[in-house]
Formats: sequence, C-alpha cells, structure tokens
Amino acid sequence: MAKEKEEKPRQPLPPLSAWVPAVALGWLIPGGGHLLLKRTGRGVLLLASVTGMFVCGLMMRGAMFQPQSGDLLTTIINTGGFIGDICSGILYLLSVWLGYNQPDMAGHVHDYGTKFLVTAGLLNVLAMVDVFEIAVGRKE
Amino acid sequence: MPKMNLSHFEAALLFSLFTSVVMGVVTKRTDSERLQYGAYVFVCFLAALFGLGWLMRLGHG
Repeated sequence: MAKEKEEKPRQPLPPLSAWVPAVALGWLIPGGGHLLLKRTGRGVLLLASVTGMFVCGLMMRGAMFQPQSGDLLTTIINTGGFIGDICSGILYLLSVWLGYNQPDMAGHVHDYGTKFLVTAGLLNVLAMVDVFEIAVGRKE
Repeated sequence: MPKMNLSHFEAALLFSLFTSVVMGVVTKRTDSERLQYGAYVFVCFLAALFGLGWLMRLGHG
C-alpha cells in the first residue's frame, strides 16, 4: 500500500545564534521576539494580550503556583502551574520581586485569576514557538 | 492594584478574547487568515460557553 503522505526531509536546525536571542527575548518580554524580528503588529498584539491576561489575573488576586512534591497529581498540578507562571517572563519576575504573594483562596474570582496567570504563560509559550519558526525560516 | 470582581460569564469572555487574539496571531500565514481564525476561535469559545452553560442549567433542573 502506497503511503498517502510524502515524508518531507528534515531540515537541519540553524545555528543557535539565529534563534536563541529572539526566543529568549520572547520569553522575557511577551511579544519581544516578534518585535526583534520586525513583526511589529503581531508583537504588539501579543504583548497586549499576554500582559492583559496576566494583569487581569493579578487583579483577580490569583495564586501563583509553587512546585510541591507529594502524590502524583499534586506534583503535576503544582509543578506544571509553576512552569506556566514562569513562562510569563518579566511579568512573573516583577510580580514576585515586588512581593505579590496571594494565598490560594476559595471563590470563583480567585480561581479564574489563578487560571489567567497560568494561561498568560502558556500563551507566551505559543508566541515563543511562533518566534522560533519565524527565526529559523519555517514561517514568514 | 485594584481588585477585579467579575462574574463567571465576564471572566470567561475576557479569557476567550485574550486567547483568541493570541491563537489568531500565532497560527496561519496571512493577516486575513489570522483575523478569520481568531474570530472563529472566539466564536467557538462563545458557543462552548453558552452550550455548556445551558447544558448545566438543563441538567441541574
């Protein structure tokens, strides 16, 4: 049976210097990688969206995750949430340095806030992947 | 920093808006495709929001 999909040859990865600065800047400042690569409009939209989501999370008094060990579910949720929080880059670092320390509380607003904070980081991961693809020439 | 008190609907709407913008920006290859996809994702979020909301209401009795 013939293969329906043709396998594309894998492209070699360009040198690190071609994409690491853009991806790193994209992590530190949401949309920064796009701005560095002269995708100004998209960079500004990403900056506004990720920052807006993070700030809304802070204003809803969402909790930041801390890595915890224990049973498997606790470890996955807290470590995953912590990674999600960290992916917001400077937003996370600034809020921690400025003393934001909201305990996890009951209530739908706090709960939404916690999800907003994590999702802001996850959206920034999507932006970083996009920056990587632009930087290595897989996308315009 | 002021505290924001939103209802479930408002919070979900805000979440949908931000997420749709990012999904639209990072996918597709042309601006018009991005705009269309962002709008499509937002409408899907709204459909899921209303659909699940009504499902829960009808299921709850």
